[in-house]
Amino acid sequence: MNERVDDVRASRLGAWLDHHGYSVVASLGRMLRKPWATLLTIGVMAVALVLQNVARLGGEVQASRDIAVFLDPALDGAQAAALADRLRARGDVASVAVVAPDEALARMRERPDLAAAIDALGEEAARAALPSVLRVVPRGDEGLLAESLAALPEADRIQHDAVWRARLDAWLRFGGRAVLVLAALLGLGALLVVGNTVRLDIQSRREEIGVLQLLGASDGFVRRPFLYLGAWYGLASGALALGILTLAWMALRQPLADLAARYGSDFALRGLPALPALLVLAGAGLLGWLGAGLVTGHYLRQTRPVGR
Amino acid sequence: MPAMPVLRFDNVSKLYPGGHAALEDVDFAVDAGEMLFVTGHSGAGKSTLLKLIQLAERPTRGAVLFGERNLAKVRGGRIAHHRREVGVVYQNHQLLADRSVAENVALPLVLRGVRRGEIGKRVRVLLERLGLGERGRSLPTQLSAGEQQRVGIARAVIAEPAMLIADEPTGNLDPTLSAEIMALFASLPERGTSVLVASHDLGLVKRMRKRVLVLDHGRLVDDIAPEDLADE
Repeated sequence: MNERVDDVRASRLGAWLDHHGYSVVASLGRMLRKPWATLLTIGVMAVALVLQNVARLGGEVQASRDIAVFLDPALDGAQAAALADRLRARGDVASVAVVAPDEALARMRERPDLAAAIDALGEEAARAALPSVLRVVPRGDEGLLAESLAALPEADRIQHDAVWRARLDAWLRFGGRAVLVLAALLGLGALLVVGNTVRLDIQSRREEIGVLQLLGASDGFVRRPFLYLGAWYGLASGALALGILTLAWMALRQPLADLAARYGSDFALRGLPALPALLVLAGAGLLGWLGAGLVTGHYLRQTRPVGR
Repeated sequence: MPAMPVLRFDNVSKLYPGGHAALEDVDFAVDAGEMLFVTGHSGAGKSTLLKLIQLAERPTRGAVLFGERNLAKVRGGRIAHHRREVGVVYQNHQLLADRSVAENVALPLVLRGVRRGEIGKRVRVLLERLGLGERGRSLPTQLSAGEQQRVGIARAVIAEPAMLIADEPTGNLDPTLSAEIMALFASLPERGTSVLVASHDLGLVKRMRKRVLVLDHGRLVDDIAPEDLADE
């Protein structure tokens, strides 16, 4: 005679792990059985996530907004270094770099048009004509700092296009806000995409869910494969988005660096470091899980027995 | 002192929107280990009565008691818990098409958290007993109607529910198979499972010589004891 069913139950943890294992495999199977639909969903979500994370590739424009102080050509290197030390001690200065005439000459030689001019002028004459330059990175109000630097007796002239920088600041602020709004909208879009995909999957499996419920499946048992399905969609689209971002970074970083150099900026596109990349993956997976959870919860509430 | 009934309907009515009364003041009890039939014409209320037992519907008036449990008060996760104690055999089988016969039969044990090895063993034994030993890996669509019905029965009984309810379980089957299935049902009370079969096949009901509830337009119009069946 068999033991009673209640006497042959697995431990709660064992049963829980079994159910999760089943859900993981079943949800993967559902994705793989419909490869084109799966690819489309993942593609749409990935595009949304790419746009949401594009802002992470930039972000070094602020660091390139320095003020160039051209010193009196009569000052030697030691005097330039002493002035740089004095400026570094100020609260409105983030950092100061000294560009000596030799270094400036070497940089100019890297540009073929200027190299020819240096050759025509003669190396020594060109060096003598070049002053030491301090590249000052402001902390706080750069307009006030620029005025203060221009008033220094050691300064011959400064290069700081206040109007241009004010416009750039305004554009950057607008861009930052626009990226935030876009990120929120696209995050919502990704949530809706996965929610709609899971809703369609639920609709196509209504009968199966109904049978499971009548056999005594808990809400968790019914919900779990759909949650994993949402998480798989999220993770896959996150991975695809990271791949697209990396390709975009590889394709754009050098041309953009060259372009920035033409404007005297050392702006550079950064790749996505490991930790933020992992956060993107985890966030995408969580987004998929959340979207699936919302839709499945709504469906389960609708299937409660009606009446008193 | 008499044993507590496993199921009791106390003046149960079920009204659907629009005022249609599917059941009106139905009153009966089923003892543990009892087998009985509920019969009546189409629309008499048999299916509604079964739905109330498995908590697919709730009564509008009265109380459905399962053991000491008032089903009107069962909410949330307790609904699933209650349904695991009621095995159901459907006329249209309700098997999951993309799962094998063995996986279909195993579901109630999976839901009750039975150990995996034990599930495999019990499924094999039961399928052998029902003549489906070679069909474990088949999909339901690869089976005949009779085989599908036996799979549905195997799924309903494998977890030894306190009660088995069956809605026209022999509707699509030939007389020989019907008799086999009824014999299987009749053996369940030995294990303490009560069996309630809804059927409009009066010949079958009479042959089984069990208690019969007769529904007509939602009212329980007769409750016939086995010994009185020959006179009906």
